[in-house]
Amino acid sequence: MPIGVYAGLEITGATIKDAVTSAPAQTDAVLALHERFNTRVMLTAMDLSVEAEAFGSKVRLSVDEIPTIIGRLVTTESEIESLLCPSAGDRRTTVHLETAGELVKLSKDIPVLGGVIGPFSLAGRLFGVSEALELSLTEPEILEKLLKLATRFLLSYIKAFRDQGAAGVIMAEPAAGLLSPRGLGRFSSPFIRQIAEETQNDHFSLVLHNCGAKIAHLPNILEAGAEMYHFGAPMDIDKALAQVSKDVILAGNLDPTSVFHSSTPDEVAEHTQSLINRTASFKNFIISSGCDIPPATPLKNLETFYNSVNLKNI
Amino acid sequence: MDKNIQEVYDSVLNGNMTETKQNVQTALASNVPAEELLNNGLIAAMKEVGQLFEDGEYFVPEMLISARAMQAGMSVLRPILVAQDIKPVGKVVIGTVKGDLHDIGKNLVSMMLEGSGFQMIDIGTDVAPEKFLEAINEHKPDIVGMSALLTTTMVNIPKTITYLAEQGVRNKVKIIIGGAPISQKFADEIGADGFAPDASQAAAVAKRLMGVAL
Repeated sequence: MPIGVYAGLEITGATIKDAVTSAPAQTDAVLALHERFNTRVMLTAMDLSVEAEAFGSKVRLSVDEIPTIIGRLVTTESEIESLLCPSAGDRRTTVHLETAGELVKLSKDIPVLGGVIGPFSLAGRLFGVSEALELSLTEPEILEKLLKLATRFLLSYIKAFRDQGAAGVIMAEPAAGLLSPRGLGRFSSPFIRQIAEETQNDHFSLVLHNCGAKIAHLPNILEAGAEMYHFGAPMDIDKALAQVSKDVILAGNLDPTSVFHSSTPDEVAEHTQSLINRTASFKNFIISSGCDIPPATPLKNLETFYNSVNLKNI
Repeated sequence: MDKNIQEVYDSVLNGNMTETKQNVQTALASNVPAEELLNNGLIAAMKEVGQLFEDGEYFVPEMLISARAMQAGMSVLRPILVAQDIKPVGKVVIGTVKGDLHDIGKNLVSMMLEGSGFQMIDIGTDVAPEKFLEAINEHKPDIVGMSALLTTTMVNIPKTITYLAEQGVRNKVKIIIGGAPISQKFADEIGADGFAPDASQAAAVAKRLMGVAL
């Protein structure tokens, strides 16, 4: 289950800007990947600026780069208190919701997951990542005000994905991996837990993705109460699997850049095989990329990954 | 260790900006030499911060607030160091390459290098090759630091290095690079002089390039 929509643009010929501003262009990219590789899950794009943009942050859109937030929307406690909570569907969030809805219609029995940001990472987009990290130690109560607002919006946005018929969301919370385990346990997991409790049901799951987390963070991350945890390359997946109970599903963690983007197909096969071998005895592990597959990743490398995985009939 | 220096050291380690500034002022008023305060107070504390980070006891927030405290101390100390002609370990121009707005890694590296005794000239984010050249010509740095967070922008690191070579300044500086998608292999391929996977190790790489004891 590699995370990646932008690689599908190599097939459709559309630009990144098309994919993040047009539901049909994004849908086509997801379907192209599915048709080429018989993907077992369909994901909407990981576009971690869209939620902050809904709040009013400025965003830089580019033809060949994933959108980036420019500057800080709020810099003081009073600005946080005055910040209005947007609605699901505001600005470009509608693109991702429509994509999810369209994929659900077209996907038959393939589960569709929407892509959303996590609360601490959203707070970082709004307040500045460095500044939010510092605030976690210097004025934690102010940070918590912003986190409550971020959580309120994410709840409505995730429920909107559920209303579209999605099977769940994959929530990317990369900035929380920069916190200490204790910090993560205070400024990320409780807010995600609230979202998980209010959105998950028999037909809708939360997959929590943290590409910055290390093994020391694991116990605090598990407090989030997600159905599945998806980790990046910094996570020692062997140790993580040894620590969690068999009913906790973990996924990851081939490096999206050094393996998928920058390796030769032979090297991709070698890395994939190595991870398969190391995790073979764990039925609660799903092999995946450790983060979003970068744009312009060679399709041959993705093909090699899928071939390696399918040969093992995982 | 002198009590005044110990207090500076502790306040940096604890990330207390206000106390660090006050402690530096108190130490100077007690005739503690500025260079000693710099080396045994601010720099020594940041070295310990780097070690605690590598040991997994400190994380990025702790590192950030310690660096802010160190900078507060430096703001008091810098004019005195300049007046006494005490030279920094080296001069570094640092920025994220063209197209890249992600500055947290660059900021952390800048703070850790400053905390290791380097003079930092931060030229910001989304820096075009021409602006790197301009900064090199203006500031005459020993080291140029470039970072990129994205695979789409990391290609602008070798482009910038090539441009600096074409303009005849490449061999006048050492180039260190970093960022999430960057690896030692990539650094070797594009002819960078140094790479570090995190801010703490970047300080050690920069010192090694300057021939300074770690």
